[in-house]
Amino acid sequence: MSSAKSPALMSSDLHDALQRALIEVSENAFFVFVEPANATQFAAAADQVTTAWLKVSVTFAGAFSGSVEIALPETLGGWLVTSLLGMDTQQTPAESQMFDGVGEFANMVCGAWLSKLSNKAMFELRVPAVTRMSQGWNPVAETRGREELACRMVMLNDLPMRVLIRSN
Amino acid sequence: MADVNMSQSNPTTTAMKPLNILIVDDSATMRALLHRVVGLADLPIGTIYQAPNGLEALKILETCSVQAVFTDLNMPVMNGMELLREMAKRDAWKDLLRIIISTDGSKLRRDEARELNVNLYVEKPFRPEVVRDVLCQIASADVL
Repeated sequence: MSSAKSPALMSSDLHDALQRALIEVSENAFFVFVEPANATQFAAAADQVTTAWLKVSVTFAGAFSGSVEIALPETLGGWLVTSLLGMDTQQTPAESQMFDGVGEFANMVCGAWLSKLSNKAMFELRVPAVTRMSQGWNPVAETRGREELACRMVMLNDLPMRVLIRSN
Repeated sequence: MADVNMSQSNPTTTAMKPLNILIVDDSATMRALLHRVVGLADLPIGTIYQAPNGLEALKILETCSVQAVFTDLNMPVMNGMELLREMAKRDAWKDLLRIIISTDGSKLRRDEARELNVNLYVEKPFRPEVVRDVLCQIASADVL
């Protein structure tokens, strides 16, 4: 498989594959509809979030290496897990279950994205790492220093989610 | 997206007997999901065992009667392919049905799975009815 930096793998390919992966995972497995959001819409939605944010990272290695990083409000994390497991919407999953569930969401997005880029190359995915960010943290204000290959900002259940693909 | 790749395997004669199933995945959420989906399949299910990795799965296989194994691939301690290679070494387990459920849908991995007599390969994300249909095929002994 070509390096992500080579001309053979265009930025548009990466973004398109990421968008399709997000839709496929969210709608097929988690039964949540995805709506695209521009930077203004995302920032406005992020400002409305009153709960903590979760940051989920899945590192992959293979033809090229990097990580998929997802930032989402804790409320959305809980909704994803209750939806996936068919739980009563009034129920709040235990923290360990929510962390594990959003980790699996990121795992699926990463795997689906890589599969859409190439069904020939093999990749190894590491166990997802989930972090609850400190109160007041906002992805809009985050300084993104490492190289980014793709970024998608979307709305799920009217809540914001940001997905970043970084290369090593 | 599911792929119903069927390898040759001996037919079981337990079409209507309760199936004991082993679910192997390092994600407790995925194990819970598969447990729930198996329960929705409307066919006789016996005991559903769970293991967080291949090593724990082997311990269960050595002590319990299991007819079908659903396994993820990327797991710590012992991954899915390592588990399937260990299973292939034991004659007592040759008739166990092997179903992979994984985010890895690469052709190389599917080819590797085929060589290990995997009966079915289901790619995540999957719709619950896909796994339900897989179980119905197993129960009706259509997988040959």
